[in-house]
Amino acid sequence: MSNNEYDILVIGAGCAGPAAAKKAAELGLKVLVFEKSRVPGEKNVSGTCLNMAALIDPDLQYLMKGPVEREIYEMTTYMVTKERTSMMKETPAEGIILLSVRRDVFDAWHTEEAKKAGAEIKLSTTIVDIIEKDGRVTGVVTDSGEKYYGKVIIDAAGVNSIIGRKAGLIPKRKGDSMILYTILNVWLGEDVVNERFGNSIYYFLAPGCQHKTWPWIFPKKDVVTIGTGGYMDDDLFKGEIKSVNDYMQNLIDLPMIKEKLEGGRVEAWGLHLEYDEAIEKRTKDGLILTGEAGGFVIPFLGEGMPEAFFTGIYAAEAAAKAIKENNFSAEFLEEHFMGRFNENVFLQSFRYIAEMNKKSILSMPDEEIAAMMQNVVIGGGFISNTIHTQWMKGADEDDISLVQEAKDFYELIQPYRQVGSESVEIYKKMRAEK
Amino acid sequence: MKVEMKVDYYPGDTGEFIKVDEEKCSGCGDCAKFCMRNVWVKDGDIYRPKNLKDCAECGACWNICDLDAVIFGDPKGGTGIRFEYG
Repeated sequence: MSNNEYDILVIGAGCAGPAAAKKAAELGLKVLVFEKSRVPGEKNVSGTCLNMAALIDPDLQYLMKGPVEREIYEMTTYMVTKERTSMMKETPAEGIILLSVRRDVFDAWHTEEAKKAGAEIKLSTTIVDIIEKDGRVTGVVTDSGEKYYGKVIIDAAGVNSIIGRKAGLIPKRKGDSMILYTILNVWLGEDVVNERFGNSIYYFLAPGCQHKTWPWIFPKKDVVTIGTGGYMDDDLFKGEIKSVNDYMQNLIDLPMIKEKLEGGRVEAWGLHLEYDEAIEKRTKDGLILTGEAGGFVIPFLGEGMPEAFFTGIYAAEAAAKAIKENNFSAEFLEEHFMGRFNENVFLQSFRYIAEMNKKSILSMPDEEIAAMMQNVVIGGGFISNTIHTQWMKGADEDDISLVQEAKDFYELIQPYRQVGSESVEIYKKMRAEK
Repeated sequence: MKVEMKVDYYPGDTGEFIKVDEEKCSGCGDCAKFCMRNVWVKDGDIYRPKNLKDCAECGACWNICDLDAVIFGDPKGGTGIRFEYG
């Protein structure tokens, strides 16, 4: 193999890229990762809480060794209407439900792990084009005009990936399939964050603070990250709302939030697009799309990072198989890539929950969404709402198959509901090995 | 507290990573409406990405344009916006 030839080229060092590169290097492959920022993570914006229900998967346990800002034990949901404020606190009996991280630190650590495993990393390098031969993607072109070739190209370059667009796999999205959201990092100091936010994350639903989504506050070590926005449809901006910053302003002006942020200062602002529908095709001959580039994200539930880690790893495994069997066709890659994806309980159950809840929310006017959300808050969250909605629909329509579906889902979701002492043991073990 | 759009930029020339296709632009202004950073400015009958140095690289303009008039790429490696905390 000459200098610019590799088994695998990975584009992007966010969540999916380092996961793919680490796995591919561990499988003995020659890997090169390109990242456009100077430090991995410095061009990334997301909710930044890692879901423990995903991290206990043996494939992802090593991520628990990464730099963690705060362990999260609780989820607090506020539903604010003119008449009243309802609050629900969800505290699992035992265990850590989420790990709060900063992307600029975590992604850099993860990339270093890939490097330790043997992957080469090229920072400050933007990919501007793909190289194709007889319909197969065989390489990429950098912003300085250099050409690199790989037997399989793994696209992990995020929501607007140039590779995925050039390959004709990523379409334009807006309306009900695209969310535009803004985040604000407010510095308060560790003691104040401990006192006012503790080890909980917070969700809100209040008039004028979001558009068909919900805002959140995730505490890090000495800052809190606040996020809100909405679906990019015709109603995103109307009346007083001229930009997503206006939703943010309304949110931080809510008395209960204003009080919690008092004395703080805006440390950083961020903006991101996330899309909410799986794209049709995730593979082309010689190319696999992972993470957000492949539509593997569930913004409705605030889930994207685990999907990216999993799909990065599965792409590396599929690529290794392709090299072994000398078959680089889209069909072969799709079969082995999505085969693993479809077996993953976490990914399947979270997709199902999002789909069920999103369907009901997008079909309702705002007042009904508020009423439904109140039921969600009182009734035990989205998982319960999913089961309940299907079950009741089955009962109403006298359709036993819907009731059965609800029961099947209830069984499927049990591993998630039981994330508890076991996850704490794994976490302790991983931190000790760190 | 007021929302402040506090962001850092790497030093260095990003290159013209967003352009308008003058033939295709109808001047509808959706790009400007969905841009949080006032990158898109009306110039005669069309819009141009005149304030590219303020771009947050989110891609809303590219996604929203029905006429494919937004040519959207990435800044040169190691330039453009730098987010803290994520």
